[in-house]
Amino acid sequence: MSAIKKLFGIVWSLMGIGIIPLVIMQAMKEIAAKPSEENWIFWSIVIVVLMPIIAFSLITFGVFALKGEYDTIE
Amino acid sequence: MARNVTNVSQTEEVSSTRRVIAASSVGTLIEWYDFYIFGTLAKIISEQFFPKDNPTAALLATLATFAAGFVIRPFGALFFGRLGDLIGRKYTFLVTLVIMGGSTFAIGLVPGYKTIGFFAPAIVFILRLLQGLALGGEYGGAATYVAEHSPAGQRGFWTSFIQTTATLGLFLALGVILIIRQTLGVETFSDWGWRIPFLLSALLVGVSVFIRMKMSESPMFVKMKKEGKTSANPLAESFKQKDNLKMVLIALLGATAGQGVVWYTGQFYALSFLQNACNVEFVQSNMIISIALLIGTPFFIVFGALSDKIGRKYIMMAGMLIAVISYKPIYQMMYDEANLKNKTEIVEKTTVEKKEAVKGTDNVITTVTKKTFADGTSYKETKKETIPLDEAKKAELAAAGKLKPETKKETTLPQDIYIKMIGLVLIQVIFVTMVYGPIAAFLVEIFPTRIRYTSMSLPYHIGNGVFGGLVPLISTRLVEATRPAPGLPPADPLAGLMYPILIASVSFVIGMLYISNKTNNMDVE
Repeated sequence: MSAIKKLFGIVWSLMGIGIIPLVIMQAMKEIAAKPSEENWIFWSIVIVVLMPIIAFSLITFGVFALKGEYDTIE
Repeated sequence: MARNVTNVSQTEEVSSTRRVIAASSVGTLIEWYDFYIFGTLAKIISEQFFPKDNPTAALLATLATFAAGFVIRPFGALFFGRLGDLIGRKYTFLVTLVIMGGSTFAIGLVPGYKTIGFFAPAIVFILRLLQGLALGGEYGGAATYVAEHSPAGQRGFWTSFIQTTATLGLFLALGVILIIRQTLGVETFSDWGWRIPFLLSALLVGVSVFIRMKMSESPMFVKMKKEGKTSANPLAESFKQKDNLKMVLIALLGATAGQGVVWYTGQFYALSFLQNACNVEFVQSNMIISIALLIGTPFFIVFGALSDKIGRKYIMMAGMLIAVISYKPIYQMMYDEANLKNKTEIVEKTTVEKKEAVKGTDNVITTVTKKTFADGTSYKETKKETIPLDEAKKAELAAAGKLKPETKKETTLPQDIYIKMIGLVLIQVIFVTMVYGPIAAFLVEIFPTRIRYTSMSLPYHIGNGVFGGLVPLISTRLVEATRPAPGLPPADPLAGLMYPILIASVSFVIGMLYISNKTNNMDVE
């Protein structure tokens, strides 16, 4: 079980890292296609609030999992 | 004799716990009611305070809806959580109640945009932020307070009463609004009647403050304070120390994020889907949700109590998994049941009524089309065209594409489909009770008493406020992305479910791998 927890630690970290360029690129693409106020507000909320929370928590959680911090939890 | 003394002592303990639960739950229920009436009346509030022709006011409207929902709630969790761990649970969640009640009452008193101009949206925006701040501090305090009064082995059961309050608060908000709207009539309600639910809050909060004033401080906190074990810096201890931070992350990613999206999908998105994708009439759609909530609410207690016996983890995870698997079929059935393309129209009963009236400088043409279907469904479409009498202005608006008519579609379902809809929403409410019923006990048990209020409040409000609170915004956006052109129906009306399904799936995997099913005895460390 510990090995699986550690292995998934890599997955969570990569997901956390991967989400940053993915969201920014999508935002740029959609705003460039339609630079409306609605688009700006939506992507601002996603980039300023949601993305940092997801990225930070997944990366930190993944690193902890990889280091075996959760191995003692049964 | 000894047995009699034990029995008396046990009876007193249960009675005391019941008083604690009642006093805490009533206050938390009122806070949720206060918070939800703003969201439920968002359209009227927008018309009163945030006119669309003023871009700054429109921006404030969006921010008031979302900022208080997610940005401010975690701040409230940090601010009041810290206070609760420093000075005590009782006084902290008494303060949050007063702030919430005061700001809700004040919203009911603020003059509209037409009377005081830009001050109106600015004041409402600030009051809405105060509401979010207070809510951020309330829940963690109430859950911690109840859990610390509850006997070990029964925390799931006792804290589940606090868990019912969010749903009951929504139910109360919908109920009060519907009753006042039906009593006063739609026009009077839109004019000034909408203020009554806000003003009513003062009375509810007054009663609740009176009850809470009489309550005693949490026994665990009192013991800890006597022993000098309270934390000097709860924020640093909660989020800078690795041992606690790793539990905060588990709570967020493995539990509250998934719980948040399931909660918002089963209640708010279901209502929005009924009204916008299925075009179910306002009162009927609200009744569907209200009845499902009422029937489903006891299950919070069922699953809370069950979690004391079999552990919290598997109930919460089962709720997430079943939700992930069944959301698409459930929403597909809801859509199909209301879809007029699947029904046979009784053409001879179709009526079209057209009225023209001059209002100010405009000619207003209203066309009402009523259709009846073989299964008993009735449909009403109101098309309103506002055309300026001035030809130059008319040409200008036409060139800018601003002469589009406003169309309101209302489907009234027959009894059998109405009941089926209640059943389909009820299934989703049961998922909500599975993930939400045991979560307060789970959260309070994974953090130490000295920093419990702070540590549990933040993941709860990020999970619910950010991940859950964004369900309507992101899901609507995903559906809109499938719309081939403005005015045409979306190609995939279920596309909005992708967000809650994705978040709940990740949460399920993390929860299954990393969360323990063992319960903690919560001694004062």
